[in-house]
Amino acid sequence: MEIVAKQGKLKDSTIVTIRPMVKGDADALVKFFKSLPDDLLLFVRHNVRDESVVRIWAENLDYKRVFPLLATVENKIVADVTLHRVPFGWKRHLGKVRIVVSPEYQKLGLATLMLNEIVDLAAEFGLEKLWAEVPLDSRGAIAAFRNAGFSCKAVIEDLVKDKEGRNADILIMICDVAAHYDQ
Amino acid sequence: MKIAIISDIHSNIEALHAVLRKIDKEKVDVIVNLGDIVGYNASPDECVTEIRKCEAISVSGNHDSAVHDLTARESFNVFANQAIRWSHFKLSKENKDFLKKLPLLAIVWDRFIACHGTLKSNDSYIVKPFQARRMFNIMRKEYQRINICFFGHTHRQAVWSRDVRGKVKQLKLNENPIHLNPEEMYLINPGSVGQPRQNDWRASFLTFEPEEAKITFYSVPYDLYKAQQKILKAELPSFLAERLAEGV
Repeated sequence: MEIVAKQGKLKDSTIVTIRPMVKGDADALVKFFKSLPDDLLLFVRHNVRDESVVRIWAENLDYKRVFPLLATVENKIVADVTLHRVPFGWKRHLGKVRIVVSPEYQKLGLATLMLNEIVDLAAEFGLEKLWAEVPLDSRGAIAAFRNAGFSCKAVIEDLVKDKEGRNADILIMICDVAAHYDQ
Repeated sequence: MKIAIISDIHSNIEALHAVLRKIDKEKVDVIVNLGDIVGYNASPDECVTEIRKCEAISVSGNHDSAVHDLTARESFNVFANQAIRWSHFKLSKENKDFLKKLPLLAIVWDRFIACHGTLKSNDSYIVKPFQARRMFNIMRKEYQRINICFFGHTHRQAVWSRDVRGKVKQLKLNENPIHLNPEEMYLINPGSVGQPRQNDWRASFLTFEPEEAKITFYSVPYDLYKAQQKILKAELPSFLAERLAEGV
């Protein structure tokens, strides 16, 4: 089986391996999601604490629809970024990006590293723009997306709900993939 | 005089052979190669040997540089990184040395410039009007006598023009030859031989006839299945085989 991976270095010199998710990652991904606090899982669209949800993902991997990229440290998953694509229609050149980073690996530059990789891959896939939705009060996430070439485009007030049921604001961030490579 | 401009072969020997056959039929005098002979696909050594054999005037692409430059390689995404590391082991010493010696830019007979990405880097792109405008400004400042620059890297055919008033635009392309206005400046991309990204799987290149100031784009079919099978057999990422068929 092909092994597609590369290594990156975090601010504290930890070496992480970055690679696309494969079928065999189901168990490690279940562990990863179970280790995350409720606050972080609020941004995930599915109930990933349900093992069957994660196993169905792993069984039905389709990189053309959703491209999942994992960061691992000593074979333990520490971050997951997904690039969601639309095959047809007026949004076929767009990709939606979602990222979850384990709390113990936050503020080490891992999110920026993963997002830079996904922007590069988006260029490979022929995508022109990337779209991300970030909670307006999540300063770390906003900084990571900005570092990877995303810029703030709109704030939608009271759009989503936090775990206590209070409405919260969402920031829409866009990355122009072609302009990102301008030097 | 007829010049063939080819770019971004990316280790696809099947596509390169198809292009060279067409070039032969078109009775081309000289071949200019805009870089990225290696990377992504499964025949790096064969492609470099073929380019050396046909004595093409060549410049260095970012993947050619990355064969030697570890730092550049680490900045590649997972797929490109995997392929260039594999290429490194497949290339002969002579062919690696050939890649190492390639210049970043060539001024050909004082008539035109050949580069991979832009005039300043083999890893930056010309896809947006502001990027084209910036390149025209550099040409006006640093290469006053030259009004044509051939570039690659984007894997898409393109012609940008700058008229005497300074208006920059991208021309619409079709199968007809394009006659260049000697008073205007041009940035011209022949597309990619080995990994086209314009939703057409065929290998792209162009011919340039300086006396008539004429360029003609070509897209030629090649043995796509064979190229894909080689990628899979080499255990390179299967995505690299799939994308060839889709032209992305």
